[in-house]
Amino acid sequence: MTSASRVLAVWLTPAVVLALPAALAARGPDGLWLGLVLAFTPLMTLGLASTYPETTSSGSRGGGGEPLFPVVTLLITVGVLLWANIVLAGDAAAWLGARRWQGIVVAAVTGWLLTAWRPLRRTAPALLAVALVAAIVPLAQLGWTTGLGPLAAWDRVATQPAFRFPPSSRWVTAGRDLAAARGGKPLVFEEVHRLTAPAGGLLRARTLDGSRLAEIEWSLTPGQTVTLRAGDELVRGSAVRLRFESDKRVPGAPSSGMTWAEDRPRRWLDRVGLLVTLLAGAAALLRAGLTVRLSRRGFAVVAGGLLITLVWAQGWAIYSTLQAPDLFLGGVTLERLLELPGPALFAGPVRRALQALLLVAGLAAFLASTVALRERLGAMDRTGGGEIGHDPGLWAGLFGGAALASLWPVDPWALTLLALGGAGCALGPAALCSPPPGRTIATTAGVVGLIVFATVAAAQLRGAGGGLLGAVIGYPALAGAPAGALVLWLGRR
Amino acid sequence: MPPVTTRTAGVVLLLLLLAGFLLLGALPNQAASIRIAGLSLMWWYGGIVAPALGTFVAIRWLAGPSREE
Repeated sequence: MTSASRVLAVWLTPAVVLALPAALAARGPDGLWLGLVLAFTPLMTLGLASTYPETTSSGSRGGGGEPLFPVVTLLITVGVLLWANIVLAGDAAAWLGARRWQGIVVAAVTGWLLTAWRPLRRTAPALLAVALVAAIVPLAQLGWTTGLGPLAAWDRVATQPAFRFPPSSRWVTAGRDLAAARGGKPLVFEEVHRLTAPAGGLLRARTLDGSRLAEIEWSLTPGQTVTLRAGDELVRGSAVRLRFESDKRVPGAPSSGMTWAEDRPRRWLDRVGLLVTLLAGAAALLRAGLTVRLSRRGFAVVAGGLLITLVWAQGWAIYSTLQAPDLFLGGVTLERLLELPGPALFAGPVRRALQALLLVAGLAAFLASTVALRERLGAMDRTGGGEIGHDPGLWAGLFGGAALASLWPVDPWALTLLALGGAGCALGPAALCSPPPGRTIATTAGVVGLIVFATVAAAQLRGAGGGLLGAVIGYPALAGAPAGALVLWLGRR
Repeated sequence: MPPVTTRTAGVVLLLLLLAGFLLLGALPNQAASIRIAGLSLMWWYGGIVAPALGTFVAIRWLAGPSREE
């Protein structure tokens, strides 16, 4: 890893960048917190002086080589990060009307080609620049066409009495497959709503009859409509194309713009959990095994890049929410933010060009990340001259495995948090606390941190709950990172 | 005990900027929702002021004089 732009490319994978506007659109101030943490944690870890030690005893390859534990941990982390971003490519392809596998193949094959073709190794800065320009142009065009500056657009969103389906929404005009509403929010209706199944299909809903809850299943013929009342809920899993009514409240949306803009109280434990996860993750991803620091100019590039990303995410979230409130249907998911909002805003050719630019931005950011992640891993392989970062067989396996795993839809942001949390617990404490050289304590601390992280993460399967325990289960790095740091501290005494 | 460097001060300042956001959210009577020039206090701070100050802090205090890696 030799430049500030590569630091940006490692940290700002498309799944991370899109998680920001998604969180801002879905949860307002929670999204601001995510933005601040994403922007500050890399700066903090790069500013600190410690590095992961090179061990020569057990836990290393021996002979004064690079330690095996951090290399393997980072290799797995990079694999999961690739997986998260290839999943996102598949999700975006499916959302934009192509086949899911097509998005997966394009992302995995182009990513791998950059590994195999050596002259393309140094393209990360150029790819990042392409991503930046291609992402800013649609945002600027959106602001220009709506005739509202960012502050006025925010004010318009924050004063909405309700978020309603616009007449131009694809959910209203042609309809979409209900399975596309993959967010975690229940599809509960707040007012009478008539749904049409243009192609027919099976639809299930939980209806409220007085105080009695009943589950009803309709077998709809093409064009048939069903009327749901306030309190009724659509059951997910029905593969049926549905058309919603224009100007009706979007199920899953905040009750008003004011609710969206206001902070919900007592969320600080979750916020600390996110901070610890990303701080430890940044330490692992950006510091472990590296010894040289960035210059002032390098810091300016990293800090400026993070600031631009945060500003772009805010703008994109606000204009998307304003122009496409149907974004909220069933919960905001990342791939929806790769679609240009406001179908009625632009003429066909302009719309297609702007949409293409958005996709170019996403692909360029992904490719920059793959190049930089490989360089990052290669930087750990000092004795092999960084060959691990360019071994076509290894990376073919990694991209192929990630592509296969991506056929199963999972939340890219959850995968990213899992990767950063796991790597953070394994490598973060040692990267931040500078353990004594020549001892295995860094590896021991990493193994303990990772075991604690994995144990608590497994508890997520039983549900998170509330309070401190809920926050720890929701963000397992809250337990894993301190456990690793404690072992490190005890070992230094 | 390791010496307190300008970098440590920079990291502490960034942590204080983060803490400011949490404190703002904890103010009584939804004070963070008060609007100034069309934007709520919380969005002014979290969306504009803190990120800009964080960038300044990073460049001013976190960067080392040495060359890039």
